Amino acid sequence: MSVADGGINPQSIRNPQSAIRNPRSEMTSSQALPGARFVDPKILLRVGNLELLARHVVEGFINGLHRAPYFGASIDFAEHRGYVAGDDIRRVDWRVFARTDRFYVKQYEADTNTNVSVLLDVSRSMKFSNRGVPKLEYGCFVGACLAYLAQRQRDRVGLITFDNDIVSHVPPSAKHFNVVLHTMERARPERPGNLPIPLHKMAEHFRRRGILVLISDFYEEPDAVLEAIKPLKFLGNDLIVFHVLDPAEIDFGYEDASSFEDLETGEQIPVVPESLVREYRSMIQAHILALTTKFSEHRIDYTVLNTAEPLDRALFSYLSSRERLMRVR
Amino acid sequence: MAFLTPFFLLGLSAIAIPVLIHLIQREKKRVIEFPSLMFVRRIPYQSVRRRRIRHWALLLMRAAAIALIVAAFARPFIHQGTVAAAVGGGAREVVILLDQSASMGYGDHWSRARDAARAVVRGLGADDRATLVLFDKNAEENMRATSDRTRLEAAINAAHVGSGATRYGPALKLAESILSRSAIKRREAVLVSDFQRSGWSGSEEVRFPEGMTVSTVSVASPNSANLAVPSVTFARASFSGQERITVTAGLSNKGDEPLKDVPVTLTIDGHEIQTERATVAPHAAGSVTFAQFTLTGPNVRGSVRAGADLLPADNIFHFVLAPSEPVSLAIVDSGDRSDGSLFLSKALSIGTTPTFHVDVASASRVTPTAFDKRAVAVLNDTMFPPAGGGGVLKRFLERGGGLLVVTGDHTTWPPGEAELLPGRLGATVDRTSGRSGSLGYLDYSHPVFEVFKAPRSGDFSAAHVFRYRALQTLPTDRILARFDDGAIAAAERKVGAGRAIVWTSTLDDSWTDIGVKPIFLPLVHQLVRYLAHYEPATSWFTVGQVLDLTARAKGRADKSDRIVVTPSGERISQSSAGEGSEGLLELNEQGVYEVRSSGAAAGRPEAIAVNLEPAESDLASIDPRELVAAVTGHATLVEAQPAQAQEMTREESERRQSLWWYLLMAGLLLLAAETVISNHLSRKERFL
Repeated sequence: MSVADGGINPQSIRNPQSAIRNPRSEMTSSQALPGARFVDPKILLRVGNLELLARHVVEGFINGLHRAPYFGASIDFAEHRGYVAGDDIRRVDWRVFARTDRFYVKQYEADTNTNVSVLLDVSRSMKFSNRGVPKLEYGCFVGACLAYLAQRQRDRVGLITFDNDIVSHVPPSAKHFNVVLHTMERARPERPGNLPIPLHKMAEHFRRRGILVLISDFYEEPDAVLEAIKPLKFLGNDLIVFHVLDPAEIDFGYEDASSFEDLETGEQIPVVPESLVREYRSMIQAHILALTTKFSEHRIDYTVLNTAEPLDRALFSYLSSRERLMRVR
Repeated sequence: MAFLTPFFLLGLSAIAIPVLIHLIQREKKRVIEFPSLMFVRRIPYQSVRRRRIRHWALLLMRAAAIALIVAAFARPFIHQGTVAAAVGGGAREVVILLDQSASMGYGDHWSRARDAARAVVRGLGADDRATLVLFDKNAEENMRATSDRTRLEAAINAAHVGSGATRYGPALKLAESILSRSAIKRREAVLVSDFQRSGWSGSEEVRFPEGMTVSTVSVASPNSANLAVPSVTFARASFSGQERITVTAGLSNKGDEPLKDVPVTLTIDGHEIQTERATVAPHAAGSVTFAQFTLTGPNVRGSVRAGADLLPADNIFHFVLAPSEPVSLAIVDSGDRSDGSLFLSKALSIGTTPTFHVDVASASRVTPTAFDKRAVAVLNDTMFPPAGGGGVLKRFLERGGGLLVVTGDHTTWPPGEAELLPGRLGATVDRTSGRSGSLGYLDYSHPVFEVFKAPRSGDFSAAHVFRYRALQTLPTDRILARFDDGAIAAAERKVGAGRAIVWTSTLDDSWTDIGVKPIFLPLVHQLVRYLAHYEPATSWFTVGQVLDLTARAKGRADKSDRIVVTPSGERISQSSAGEGSEGLLELNEQGVYEVRSSGAAAGRPEAIAVNLEPAESDLASIDPRELVAAVTGHATLVEAQPAQAQEMTREESERRQSLWWYLLMAGLLLLAAETVISNHLSRKERFL
């Protein structure tokens, strides 16, 4: 996919000018805003007509697009219930009263907004790049785009960056979108990662059900990953997981025998890629398959993002499939 | 051992390259950052200490390969001090052209020729190379360029006199080709022959370039007398239902002395029938006629032998006789006149090659069986015979019969049989008033009229035509002749395997006077021969001719495989299905070839007599200088330079030894082996 045929190459989206100079862009006003480059108007143009809908009932304060667990004011009729003292008599269904000689009140579904929190892995492994976009930057693009979509539909957006602990925390708020972008801009992969510790802390932190977008490279055992994520799910959050991988991590396309340094631990291992590429590929595929299986068992959306793929295509395909699945449900 | 370009030996330092690569690779520490090695850690690998050389054999192979290649570039050679070339000027490329034609069997010509060839071989230096070419009509590279004198002498000893005619052109062309390919500067062709004049026409386009010389060794004998039997003729006559042959043998005396009372013997099937005495004047020809003998069956072998001289091969002439088969005709006329077919039947009663067996019947009385086993049917001014209807004539034509329709007043043709007649007959055209008609156009390309093509070979315009039947032909019909007014006189149509010709006037004296013209007899014979598919039998062939046995077998519907036994006893198997060159038999030997069908249980095998080319009997020779001058463009023979010892140069020594080639090949082979082994090892073990 190239720019010419509608796709956006990740290497091209690194150029902030493409976002700034677009006259139709809604982000033109945020030229000076740090992190604005993560919200590429071309990407948003492609995915903007989709709506990020929470799969589950989420709590909210104001009217939004998400179904709330409460009844409220909307045009979607929910049910009748008997009139009790104190109910607004304007809600009494007089037609039912005429037929049954009893007072019933009409109740409607309440639309609400929700918290969308981006959980971004900023461990050292996320700085890896093999002639392409670093994984962290790619993850920032994904998080920023989703945050933008959420903010546009009046959801509250927040951000938590983590490595082996929580690095920074932007609480969800309707006014925090710019802060989220600013925090993403300042994120630096400096420390090794450890998934369970920060996620457990987050699980304790979240009190309200919302949408959690987890972006990481998941260099943990699948069971450990799931154990770390489960607590987030316990609260009823809608969890969206993005597994960001560089093409080199998938196909291990190295040729020369070299020393390979683990970005997380700093350990160096002499490797002859030719001799182990086949086994490596099968192992990474098995890892992805295990994660896919385990996440799907727990009704967690799991998407592998290849940094060589155009970002808009990844987002578009994810949101499309999510919308389709919503209709089925 | 010395090197022509020792400077290249500096390249031996390249041996250090494998070691340097090893060391450099060891020192070079290339680190690749990778997000996590959690998967790599799980894969077992073998860490190698690069300081240690594990595969000494591989290292040695690499070093040896480099050393060999470097040595090859340095052009090594073994210094042999004052090794001298055998003959002045360095090595020679010699082509020995040894004549093995039949004429070389004269007296001691062949032994002298071989001695001369052997002498040339013995005169070769250690570095000289020679090629032996045996030639007669064709030239064959018997022994390719070699310095091995033993093999050359063995090849000369194994050579023998053939039966072919002498042709110097092919041999000299082959020599020129061989010498042109040689990189050796001194190139020479040695021609050993009797230099028959008949072998050199002077028009052969052979020209040796400058630098090539031709030397000659003539084994010709002055005033060589030779008696030959160049030809035999046969006169056939029938007597009591049997065919009798009179053999007349031609004799030629090529010598300066008259030959008196030479015995000439006729042998039939191995039995001497008759011996006659003959006297032949010098440089003259004579003949001997033998008494008649009865031909008993096919494939009768015969020979005529005349005297004995120094060239016995041409004193005998072989032939094979077979009874001539008469061409059987059925002439159908109207029956109105008793002599309606007189002209035709009389004309056909004269033939000898072939003879004609003629039966005349009227159209109303002829039966369908009258066409059986006939080669030709002639409908002579008659209605369409009722017996020929119902497809009888059509079948007759389709199986290869010939039909001659001579039109006249009585000629009618039913529409149902129109496909058999070349065209549609029209009304009678009367040319009696005024000037009579004549034949104005003849298709001389047609076999019937081909023999009349030469001047004074038949005057058709002398015949007057007073009437004829108009004829409208189809485009597919072939017009053979037209009258002077453009009307068709003769046309042909092919029907199946057969041929049908219509003659639109009569072949007697009623509508035309052609019957009393000299052209009448040969015309009728030609028409019948053509319609009967007549092919005269060949009693002998000449050496060098090629025979298509497949075509001969098709004529006899012989489908079995064949075995050919040559006069020397060699057996050649041929498949009946052989097409192209497989069915061809090159007649290289004088004598009688036998062709046996593998399916035939008994009976006489087919015999093919082969004789020498008559010109081979003429031993008159040309001056070798004439031939050399024609080939080289120099009027004088180039004498061989006296032997001159000369030390070989370093370049020449190196070039002759060509050791670099072997070293280079060895180096490349080592590299290939190293690649295979290292690949095998790297697949076998995972190392770093």
